[in-house]
Amino acid sequence: MKVLDFAKKNKLLLAVALAYVVLALMAPTRAAGALSNSVYYLKEMVQVLPAIFFLTVVIEVLVPKETIIRSFGEKSGFKGYLLALLLGSISAGPIYAAFPISKTLLNKGASVANVVIILSSWAVVKLPMLANEVKFLGPDFMLVRWVLTVLAIFAMAALTGLLVKNKDLSIEKTSGQSLVIAPEYCIGCSICVKMAPDYYEMQDNKAIVRRLPETAEEAAALEPTVAKCPGKAITLYPEVIRK
Amino acid sequence: MDIFTIGFLVIALVLFLYSLKKDKTRTVEAMKKSRGMMGNMMSEIVAIIFLIGLVLHFVPPETISEVMGAGNTAWSTFLAAVAGSVTLIPAFVAFPLVGSLVDAGASIIPGVAFLTTLTMVGAVTFPLEKQEFGTKFALTRNLLSFSFALLIAVLMGVIL
Repeated sequence: MKVLDFAKKNKLLLAVALAYVVLALMAPTRAAGALSNSVYYLKEMVQVLPAIFFLTVVIEVLVPKETIIRSFGEKSGFKGYLLALLLGSISAGPIYAAFPISKTLLNKGASVANVVIILSSWAVVKLPMLANEVKFLGPDFMLVRWVLTVLAIFAMAALTGLLVKNKDLSIEKTSGQSLVIAPEYCIGCSICVKMAPDYYEMQDNKAIVRRLPETAEEAAALEPTVAKCPGKAITLYPEVIRK
Repeated sequence: MDIFTIGFLVIALVLFLYSLKKDKTRTVEAMKKSRGMMGNMMSEIVAIIFLIGLVLHFVPPETISEVMGAGNTAWSTFLAAVAGSVTLIPAFVAFPLVGSLVDAGASIIPGVAFLTTLTMVGAVTFPLEKQEFGTKFALTRNLLSFSFALLIAVLMGVIL
């Protein structure tokens, strides 16, 4: 069962590993070539991920939810677009590095449209890249492509905002619920059920919420279960209760 | 490490230390949360990195260059956009590649399509994007990016 869970959680990694093994058996030099190609990206990851980790922590602790909602929320309007573009443009790293930051922002109330802008501009609009583009393709080429790309990013953001609603996202659903378990992170260890059987129960090998805490005291009493959860799948939203 | 990556790390670190000083308990809590979130992504990220190595080996820059220089502009633009979607090659390789093609007299439209999908559309990162943001979001964003990349390419061809 545990092996199966591991395989399920890491299916892409296992598929890639398998591809390498097959390739290594059939054409060892090709496998070595592919492996050496990856080194550059591995270095890039090691250089960028620590910064991303610190930034997600900083956003979580230092930036109040209200600020995120005001700057990047549904009602932030065009100013929100510009801010998101700026945030995406000044950051470093490949697009997957933008995922943790975007997720943290979404959880704190950023809109879908603004997250699209952050993700897109994160990948496309980079100062060192623009300099490179001028060098090899000329300033006119760079400028026209930059303007068109920014316009396209804004259009895409507006369209995605219309098509994709917050409920379509697989993020923690804060809407009205004071206690949430993210099923994709739950490893089914049942520690929370043992600690607080009134609030949690097991269903299909995953913990689900049985009863929501209704007072701040109840929520506080559940904090140890959040801390003990090995998958960090449980989140408490005491602010939902206070309202 | 280039100066931008270093600057990014320094800023993040300074803010982090400030946050640690301001509220240690919440910072430690947030660190646990981030570790959980990023830990969940790590397996996919490592998989992506080695997948890029594989894809690059079978679709090397020379092949992409051949595709973009091919006769029919509409067809080569589409192929270039697809090539840009499935590969993730560093900017310092991509720009000289397109630059040399344009210098050699090829149309800029396939080159622009390639440069734009290269960065905005991620077939390789799609599984991770889907896992973290949901299928609908990942599908909408990538399909829109692909379409807009073609549009940008055509407009560039008209303007320049």
